[in-house]
Amino acid sequence: MEKDININFFKPVGEFMTRDVKMKKLIIVIWGVATYGFLLLLKLVADPEATVEVTLSTGEVVTQVSGKSFLTETQFLGFPFHYWYSAQFCILLFIFLCWWYCKFIDKLEAEFSSK
Amino acid sequence: MKRMLQWGLSLYFVMVAGNVFAKENLSVNVGEVRVFPAILMISLLVLFILVGVFSKAKDTEDYWAAGRGVGQLGGGMAIASNWMSAASYLGMAGLIYLKGYSAMAYIVGWTGGYVLLLVLMAGQIRRYGKYTAPDFVGDRYYSTAARLMSALIVILISFVYAVGQYKGIGMMFNWIFGINYEMSVIVGTGVVLAYVLISGMLGATKNMQVQYVVIVITFLLPLFFIASKLGYFSAVPQIGYGATVWDIGHGGNGITAATADPSFYLPFANNTAYHWFALCITLMLGTAGLPHVIGRFYLVPRVSDARWQVVWGLFCIALVYWSAPCFAAFAKFSNIAGVTGVTISPDAIVVNAAELAGLPQWFSGFLAAGGVSAAFSTVGGLLMAGSSAFAHDIYFRVLRPNATEESKMKVARIGTIVLGVAIAVIAMNPPAFIAQITAVAFSMGANTFFPMFLLGIWWSRTTKEAAIVGMIVGMTVTFGSMLAPKTSLFAYYVPFTSSAILGVPLVITTMIIVSLMTKEPSAEIKELLYRVHNDE
Repeated sequence: MEKDININFFKPVGEFMTRDVKMKKLIIVIWGVATYGFLLLLKLVADPEATVEVTLSTGEVVTQVSGKSFLTETQFLGFPFHYWYSAQFCILLFIFLCWWYCKFIDKLEAEFSSK
Repeated sequence: MKRMLQWGLSLYFVMVAGNVFAKENLSVNVGEVRVFPAILMISLLVLFILVGVFSKAKDTEDYWAAGRGVGQLGGGMAIASNWMSAASYLGMAGLIYLKGYSAMAYIVGWTGGYVLLLVLMAGQIRRYGKYTAPDFVGDRYYSTAARLMSALIVILISFVYAVGQYKGIGMMFNWIFGINYEMSVIVGTGVVLAYVLISGMLGATKNMQVQYVVIVITFLLPLFFIASKLGYFSAVPQIGYGATVWDIGHGGNGITAATADPSFYLPFANNTAYHWFALCITLMLGTAGLPHVIGRFYLVPRVSDARWQVVWGLFCIALVYWSAPCFAAFAKFSNIAGVTGVTISPDAIVVNAAELAGLPQWFSGFLAAGGVSAAFSTVGGLLMAGSSAFAHDIYFRVLRPNATEESKMKVARIGTIVLGVAIAVIAMNPPAFIAQITAVAFSMGANTFFPMFLLGIWWSRTTKEAAIVGMIVGMTVTFGSMLAPKTSLFAYYVPFTSSAILGVPLVITTMIIVSLMTKEPSAEIKELLYRVHNDE
């Protein structure tokens, strides 16, 4: 049978690529949830009473929630929690994800080169 | 002969730079010269040029790819300083100072992109084994037109990106030497050109490592003193400033509840969640699509090194990114607490923070010198990327395939000079804040190179026609968002700093549709991709 050489992220071919892609998906999901899931959470739990007026670039002035919630009013290491999360924890998480992936792929490569 | 020309030219630039500087100081006293900062700055510039001289490029391979002899940590430091520019060092703190949590999108966006870069691209690009980003595009998409277009885009991205850096250099030279902004830009151009011309990429790589050390030391050291002066936990100011953020929003440590400014920390007080998202994702995708960052993966001998380099690079970047918001918070605090007598400029807030805290002048001098180093290392890398796109991808690959090494080098040098001077002209009237100009360069990278690399690597069905159409659509969106009237609805949903929010999905969809409508790539292209993905 002729080998399938069509590369598609969602239809990996070859054992190496299959396992590699599985790990990549996991990391991308964690990355997405940690960054944008948190943003969504901030918006969802925001106190509907606490509003501010924001002038948009179109010149229109709108009233929206300021985002005040237990996430912003809890102190962690002195920080408002969400501030700490974005300014410090996210970066730490990104480094960890990169480190994790490098460890994984090095091991996978070693496994395949010894085969 | 060649060497003489090269030395002569470099010497000329140094002299021009020196002369302009001397004349300006003799004629009108534009402002005071800050003595310690000036000495520090000059010694750093001399150091950079010396490092360039001693690690000079021997041939073309050296000039472009640094002999592929850069280690993991070394490569990481080079990535970090090449990529961390005046936007990270000066601009980011300025925007956080102005917009509080809304500007946190810059911090998260400019670090999170590395995860994508590592997972989706680094290893595969290194395995493909080319010199430059247009080289990859030209080969993967088997098309001279695609190569040519991507080379032009590389030059354009380098150009826009560098304008922001020149603004940073200009502002800092202006602060240090008291010469006016325009002169500062000219002096800066002279020095940058001198050392790029002498050293090429190898010198630039060595220099980037030296510059990284300078950046980190100058950036972190003053923080301890500012924190201690303002009465915050100063052993680890990166944690101590948390209380500062709290006090700015709630009052405390001399700030009354009445003067407190909650908009500094509240997430949606200055902007909408949509805009936070749009900016953040643009910067992330842009990081994964910047040609001069992608180019650095070719510099290491092994695929594994290319990946570990990303981890180290991100760590080196994080040291600065954990600290940048401190400057914004400390400056904001002093400002609300009513310190006067300092002229504040958002793009110089890092330097202003030290002044506001009442520290001796040499702390600010430290920061100003570090800001210039950050800008220098990036401009060096950008000029290299831009000129190699011109000399290697356009001149050698397309115009004169049988050009000699010597004529390639010559074209690269001429390209560097033309690019360097052209940037200086635009930087005379900078159109926006440093971080915003830089964000435009990132949008451009995200709208063009990111989809091209993503689909090129991960979908072997992508055709050359798709790449060409994709680049056209990407550039149209980037420029459309810049030219759209500021108050229009289009500019509201697709701001010029965040155009990838529309650009990337649009370009990817277009590329997929066009690919399916055109003739499938040959089996060789697919075979090569298969090998890139399966370590056999």
